[in-house]
Amino acid sequence: MILLLLTAVTLLTLSGRGFGPLDSVRSAVGSVLAPVGDAASWATRPFSNAWDSAFSHDDLVAANQRLQEENDRLQGQVTQSAIATEQLQELLALVSIPFVGDTPVAHTRVVAGTAGNFGDTVELDKGSDAGIEVGMPVITGRGLIGRVRLVSASRSTVELVTGGGFKVGFLVIGTSAVGVAQGDGDPSRLRGANIDIAQPVTEGQIVVTAGLRGSSFPPNIPIGSIASVRSDDAARQSTVDIDLYASTRDLTYADVVLWKAAN
Amino acid sequence: MATLIRYALLLATTAVLQRLLLDQIRIADVAADGFLVLSVATGVVAGSRRGAVVGFAAGLALDLMVLTPFGLGALSSLVAGAVAGSLERLIVHSARTLTLAVGFASAFVGVLFFVLVGSLLGGVGLVDGHLPVILLLVPATTAVLVLPVRRLIRWAEAPSRALSPALR
Repeated sequence: MILLLLTAVTLLTLSGRGFGPLDSVRSAVGSVLAPVGDAASWATRPFSNAWDSAFSHDDLVAANQRLQEENDRLQGQVTQSAIATEQLQELLALVSIPFVGDTPVAHTRVVAGTAGNFGDTVELDKGSDAGIEVGMPVITGRGLIGRVRLVSASRSTVELVTGGGFKVGFLVIGTSAVGVAQGDGDPSRLRGANIDIAQPVTEGQIVVTAGLRGSSFPPNIPIGSIASVRSDDAARQSTVDIDLYASTRDLTYADVVLWKAAN
Repeated sequence: MATLIRYALLLATTAVLQRLLLDQIRIADVAADGFLVLSVATGVVAGSRRGAVVGFAAGLALDLMVLTPFGLGALSSLVAGAVAGSLERLIVHSARTLTLAVGFASAFVGVLFFVLVGSLLGGVGLVDGHLPVILLLVPATTAVLVLPVRRLIRWAEAPSRALSPALR
């Protein structure tokens, strides 16, 4: 029993030091269990659909009506957005800032949710065969949702932005304020810290990835908007709560930005 | 050897069931932990030493499926299996309700151990508002599932007349 305890502690130590082969073994197991995940999704879909039909009919009707209204409104905004995007690209080109919209993405389907009870992850149906690598950002149409943590040939495991271990450098649009945002288990909110108090930020301002030198993320991926600001005069720093644009619940599709951090 | 093969079969089946079924059926966003059930049931039926060994193997299998620090699942399931065996040995009069209590207590210790050691190692996000729900529901589901799984452990532990000559 002592030998097993020591083995477990050794594995924990190796894991803490980022021992590469452990992730390789996890990727291999992910490949082996991929068909099981597909089977699970296929087998449970009729039951979850039946459950939704039986107990969520009114909610579904209301959601459908709301979505139709939203669709009508969005149709009108598409034209405006296209013009605004073009203008933004021109402006960013003028100040030599790369636009993430130009970076190729791999369109993927979410095939499994979190395994176990700890850690926010999802599994995507594409892997290294589609050009996906560890560390690449994952987005939806609304903004950042996570980062690729494990890759096998046909699967990727994504660590969601709301997980406790996730950190991303951010920039507040319209200011020079930068900071580090981190998940704390709240499914719709991040906590941003390390903002210089000399850079005033206010509620409602938009937060995007900073993409500073050495960052794991490209610049200008939308993250969310500032919900509240707290200032610590003694530490000369502000902290903010950031309401995420993208929902990390009930994900169906996600795009992996095929972008690698510069070494 | 036959026992080893049977436990390997049980472990593989647990891995498939965890992915196929248990991770899909969530109550309050909490899934039952099949590997913990296997560890605790082994401890209850075959004693603390066997519970620790099977718990280590089961936890290692869990570690391969999640992104938490590698070895954390092995360590906590090992503890849960050993605790289950020790508690069961203390019981003089065996009863279903007592087995339920042993299952709940051992799983509770296992999950708590997982969270505490994980947090000590810098695992962020293990302790949050959802933890009390996990600490209640995972031991509860483990306690209930241990009852039928005990039969499978007895099968794994039983001497095999069919397999023994073939494997000699």
